[in-house]
Amino acid sequence: MSDLWRRSASELAAGVQCGDLRAVDVLQSCLERTAAVEPSIGAFLQRFDDAARSAAQDLDRRRAVGESLGALAGVPVAIKDNMNLQGLPTTCASKILEGYESTYTATAVERLVSADAIVVGKTNLDEFSMGSSCENSALQTTSNPWQLDAVPGGSSGGSAAAVASGAVPLALGSDTGGSIRQPAAFCGVVGLKPTYGRVSRYGLVAFASSLDQIGPLARSADDAALGLEIIAGGDPLDATSSDRPVGDYRAQLGGSIEGVRIGIVSELDASSLPEGVAANWHACLDRMTDLGAEVREISLPHLPATIAVYYVLANSEASANLARFDGVRYGHRTDKQVGLTDLYQESREEGFGPEVKRRILLGTFALSSGYYDAYYGRARAVRAALRQQFELGFEEVDVVATPTSPTAAFRKGEKVDDPLAMYLSDIYTAPVNLAGLPAVAVPSGRDSTGLPLSLQIIGRAFDEATVLRVTAALESVTPALGFPMDGAGEADV
Amino acid sequence: MARLHLGPDEVETFVPQLGQILDYFDQLNQYDGLKEVSDPSASLEAADEPRPSMPRQELLRNAPETLDAFVLVPQVKTTSDE
Repeated sequence: MSDLWRRSASELAAGVQCGDLRAVDVLQSCLERTAAVEPSIGAFLQRFDDAARSAAQDLDRRRAVGESLGALAGVPVAIKDNMNLQGLPTTCASKILEGYESTYTATAVERLVSADAIVVGKTNLDEFSMGSSCENSALQTTSNPWQLDAVPGGSSGGSAAAVASGAVPLALGSDTGGSIRQPAAFCGVVGLKPTYGRVSRYGLVAFASSLDQIGPLARSADDAALGLEIIAGGDPLDATSSDRPVGDYRAQLGGSIEGVRIGIVSELDASSLPEGVAANWHACLDRMTDLGAEVREISLPHLPATIAVYYVLANSEASANLARFDGVRYGHRTDKQVGLTDLYQESREEGFGPEVKRRILLGTFALSSGYYDAYYGRARAVRAALRQQFELGFEEVDVVATPTSPTAAFRKGEKVDDPLAMYLSDIYTAPVNLAGLPAVAVPSGRDSTGLPLSLQIIGRAFDEATVLRVTAALESVTPALGFPMDGAGEADV
Repeated sequence: MARLHLGPDEVETFVPQLGQILDYFDQLNQYDGLKEVSDPSASLEAADEPRPSMPRQELLRNAPETLDAFVLVPQVKTTSDE
């Protein structure tokens, strides 16, 4: 197999645009790499090899007749399977969407396709994005490419595993409480959650509408910036999307971070981190200081309440959003001969997995009369206070740094029977969604077992440029992880 | 209310799990007195401009049962608990 699959999205696009590379060869290389690693990893729920080949041939023909190609010309991309792509199933890794075929395409996906990217498949996730390990997928198990008995993280675990393993250089995920950043951390790739409103949510199956954002996963800050430039921008089909101009993020990478003020949060106690994670965290702070950045402490007094606030709000919104899956207009309908109310109840009982049911129950309870003030109302108040505390903090610093996750990837099965333990691992990522801010997870080294570790850089609202600049600077002084399963499939060719 | 019919096994598993999670949520009590504020994004309104909607046949393609231009459901009147 050729080694084109190892290249970055920007190199591949530049090569295809100028005619040095053929889109069909790029695709072939990525498909061969996918064939070598996918049987062990299981990142994809759907693959479109044939459609991708025709799309690549088409691009090469357009190039041959002198047409200029888009910014992602010939770049194979993967899409988390909770985004619609017309004419194809959108499963959300749930049995309840059995038989559903999208009647339209999500704006973010449409923008990738318009930039001449080639969609090669749709990736696994925790059912309806509810989870941190992909173990809540009703359809498939995904493995961490670095250690196959570890989870890839979640919920965008399929996209993270596909990028890490070299199946694609760029993928889309969605992030409600860390669902891009935590799997990016576990799989050793860059994951960017944009500011709320930076990317249109049209066509993304809603989990918690006030928290959800689509963003890119890639193997470098540069490719993540490229992906963001393509998918960002206002959209009349999503009223919460912002019309603010999209930055020229890539052009600002590579600049010095001398004098950049980096905040660390006093309420996050690094002494409670496992040894390897703590050592890596301190090494990251040293690297940033060596680069000339200034590390300062800031206070976010309400941060300890984050997980409670997040799970009350996200589940409340989810219980409303998921009411539409009732077996009437699409998806699974029970075979039992029952009346209308039982048809709803039985279809949902048969179609939803346990985590989705737990969350619907929690959300319905938190919104119910008599409990609304104690749960939903209070959680919203704490959210607003936390947002203000971030704003105050950002008067003192330019970005805030935290570990992305309190641990490296955990073993499959380790937390599956303890939902609360699973929730608590979102402590660093969920506050960012509550405050609507942009953040990147960037690989920062490995633990003693070889699993990737990750640093999170959080920025001011709509200041993805600074976040990406700091990310790129860190990347430049951090040893590259390389590829997991390197050499897989080579013996066969 | 949640329109979920749970089996006995699920009830047995969920009750302690949800109890544990709700106990954890109770830490929100310490923030009693904080004012709930409106979410700035909640007041956004889309322009009121007509645009074409999706063709009915397209939408009906995904329905489990249809009759002519309609989605078919069990007779509502036969449901005793409505």
